[in-house]
Amino acid sequence: MDLLLVEDDEPTAQTLAEELRALDHRVVVAEDGAAALVAVERDSFDAVILDRMLPRMDGATVVRRLRERGRSLPVLMLSALGRWDQKVDGLDAGADDYVTKPTPAAEIDARLKALIRARGWTSTEAETIRAGDIVISPTQHRAWRDGVALDLARLEFRLLLELARQAGGYLTRAMLIERVWGYDFEPTANIVDAQVLSLRRKLTGNGGDDPIVTKRGVGYMLQA
Amino acid sequence: MQSLRTLTVAFLALFALATGLTGYATYTTARRTIAMLVDRRIAAVADTVLEDVAPGDRATILARIDTLSRRRDTGDIGFELIDPRGTWLGGNVALPRRPPVGLSTLHGTDRIAGLSTGRALVRDAGHGLRLAVIAETEPVEGYGPVRLRNAVIGFGAIALVVLGGTVMFGLLIRRRIGDMRSTAEAIVDGDLSRRVPVPAGGGAFAAQAVAFNHMLDRIVALMTSLRHVSADVAHDMRTPLARLRAKLERLANDATSTEQAAALEDAIAQCDALLAMFGAVLRITEVESGSRHAAFATIDIVSLAADVVDSLSPLATKAGQYIAMDAPPALTVTGDAGLLGQALMNLAENALNHTPAGARVRVSIHATGERATVCVEDDGLGIAPADRALALRRFGRLDASRHRPGHGLGLPLADAIARLHGGALVLDDARPGLRACFTLPVAN
Repeated sequence: MDLLLVEDDEPTAQTLAEELRALDHRVVVAEDGAAALVAVERDSFDAVILDRMLPRMDGATVVRRLRERGRSLPVLMLSALGRWDQKVDGLDAGADDYVTKPTPAAEIDARLKALIRARGWTSTEAETIRAGDIVISPTQHRAWRDGVALDLARLEFRLLLELARQAGGYLTRAMLIERVWGYDFEPTANIVDAQVLSLRRKLTGNGGDDPIVTKRGVGYMLQA
Repeated sequence: MQSLRTLTVAFLALFALATGLTGYATYTTARRTIAMLVDRRIAAVADTVLEDVAPGDRATILARIDTLSRRRDTGDIGFELIDPRGTWLGGNVALPRRPPVGLSTLHGTDRIAGLSTGRALVRDAGHGLRLAVIAETEPVEGYGPVRLRNAVIGFGAIALVVLGGTVMFGLLIRRRIGDMRSTAEAIVDGDLSRRVPVPAGGGAFAAQAVAFNHMLDRIVALMTSLRHVSADVAHDMRTPLARLRAKLERLANDATSTEQAAALEDAIAQCDALLAMFGAVLRITEVESGSRHAAFATIDIVSLAADVVDSLSPLATKAGQYIAMDAPPALTVTGDAGLLGQALMNLAENALNHTPAGARVRVSIHATGERATVCVEDDGLGIAPADRALALRRFGRLDASRHRPGHGLGLPLADAIARLHGGALVLDDARPGLRACFTLPVAN
């Protein structure tokens, strides 16, 4: 993807840009909000990674200006302070997602891809979701694999639903904590891996391949 | 210090007593003064009658009585002359009772026409003759009841004004104190912007409110500066740590030997632990700032707790531990779902981390009136009563737990979250083990 990274701290910007390039992205760095607005006009980007705290013009203002100019490209906001009210401000201003620094490049990569995939959705909440031979009915709170009903606990069902919505793309542990549990903190215990393990057992209970792919250091993906 | 009510009642009782005594004193003094004036008058009249009269000269005395009785200024005075045997010799009144020699008081019981109270002076006129001079001490008919009515109306009006004034004054003080109390409570609940309304027009209450508000400004400034310091430290440490972590990660990716890779993984894990600790400090300061109060919603605490128990259950099973829940099917409370999830997760993780294999952890929820009580208890070693306050302090890790996982901020964070919800985290003995409880406002 073509990415614009807006970050005033040069070492952080360099490290993150390097890591994103290693993940096959082309990255342009802008060191403040004004430069970012100029860059967006000049070149076309697939997404913007924007620091919340910038000199002169803060991140929320930058997103607001972008949205005012009719720019709808995905914006992922980074903040050193994981404060809830700042997160609300950032999302209100028009950012699509919000993460707390330090954020590994793999996390940013997964989130950007999820944002772009989500833009392709036309389905509504009530519709049945399919991923391979898995069928999920969100309204009935039921799921089937290969026509056989699955007996899932509440968390397992919510986990399968989130994975299926993003089928074919990776969801990081942090993203699953946010979307499945609704937490804005990361528990010390590895609760995501434990739920994925029990979901896997139930999905493969009647035979069939394991449809969940694990990528070390990134997260989990349900095969489409 | 007595209550305002007791003071008011005592003041009003004293006031009533003083009013009553003053009324009584006024009444009796007036009566005595009148009696004294009447005494002087009848003495002067008696002197006039007997002046230069030869002892026993009844004709002169009766003539003078007759003259005086006709005069306008002495016409109201009664005279009676009797001889030593008690026979009435003359005058303008006949007394049924013989008053003694000297001054005495007459009452309605003496049955003298037109006289209810009065004074009598009896003098010896020589040769056994007695002259009695009497006068009324009441200037008008029924003067006593009139005076009583006047006293009741006068003092009653004063009493009413004082009573009304006291009640109004009490209400005013109560309102001012109420303003201060509600402000202090709002500050404690996290609304640091609240101040006492300053009454218009100056005065002692306005000065008091201004002084109180100054004190609040100072407290808020100190709290804010303290919060900023700890938030700034945590924030400024996170950025270099993040860089260090990124560098270590790149080195780990290029590691040439497995030992090197393992050592780097360990260093990354330590970085993560430090980052988690600073994250917890930032979270505590965020909770203590009270800003999340604005986003309180109605949530089912049972479903939140069930998520925590279901999430930790597989991990507990793996470690040979057991975690279960004891709660009604649903219980709605007013609060912040994210923070309460974190508090429950911290307490449950804490219980599992500090107990050995075979331990049982129980998360219980029950409603008691307006508050729901949430408890997490284990059957491990617990915390000695003397160490419990320390366990709730930031970085107050007990020596025995220093080698265990976690950053030592789990309990202080849960405490900050409990306080945001109008309670506090209470550590107790579960006999055996630790019981950590907090309460939440039940939603209506």
